[in-house]
Amino acid sequence: MFRSAVLRSTAAAVRTASMRPMSTTARRAAIAAAAPRITLAAAPRAVAWQAVRCYSAAGGLEKKDVYERIKLLLSGFDKVNDPSNITEKAHFANDLGLDSLDTVEVVMAIEEVRTPLLLPRHP
Amino acid sequence: MAITPTQFAITTRQSRNWKDAQHQVLSTYRKWIRAAPEIQTMYSVPLPVSAIRTRIRQEFERNRFVNKLSAVDVLIFRSHADYQETMNFWRQTTHIMSYFKEESLHRTKDRPTNFLEGFLEGRN
Repeated sequence: MFRSAVLRSTAAAVRTASMRPMSTTARRAAIAAAAPRITLAAAPRAVAWQAVRCYSAAGGLEKKDVYERIKLLLSGFDKVNDPSNITEKAHFANDLGLDSLDTVEVVMAIEEVRTPLLLPRHP
Repeated sequence: MAITPTQFAITTRQSRNWKDAQHQVLSTYRKWIRAAPEIQTMYSVPLPVSAIRTRIRQEFERNRFVNKLSAVDVLIFRSHADYQETMNFWRQTTHIMSYFKEESLHRTKDRPTNFLEGFLEGRN
């Protein structure tokens, strides 16, 4: 919801900033003496941000981190028939021996306890 | 005047087949599990949330081997009705604690039951 607003504000700010240094350098070149100046390549000054604050950290979790968290959760679950069966491709029912009610509980635990993941419903 | 249903009301319907019934059961199970912390705070249940979730699981396991689809439909309706009654605060703490009789959290013995207990206590 805020991401598009932030992108729009940054795009607008970059556009206005890129326009401004051109005019100041042009003015300086006209007024100053004929000493060669090193003009800064269009470095934008402190741009005017719109009031969108971003307090959170950057980005989401890596796939490896997600896998590690889920693996930790499942290894604490007593109904799993063998902790060594927990792999990336393990099936809840076929490989880990969980029935459908257990699957619901595990999915709920993944959603609520530690990881901020929202998982789609599968019947 | 249109009648608006009360909150958490679900229209009862017949399941088309066993897969549909399973889908319904899982979705109502998910709702109950999600509601467990809220039940604990609403009704001041003196048990951890995991105990409430275990009890919910027990109730579902009790009806695991039902063979008739229409009976399963009735059970699904009862689950929805109980969920509505619980989350709308139409019940009371005693109704929730009646699911936890084995924990013996309530007062078990008020008076001596037979003669010898009364005699030994000296209540005469």
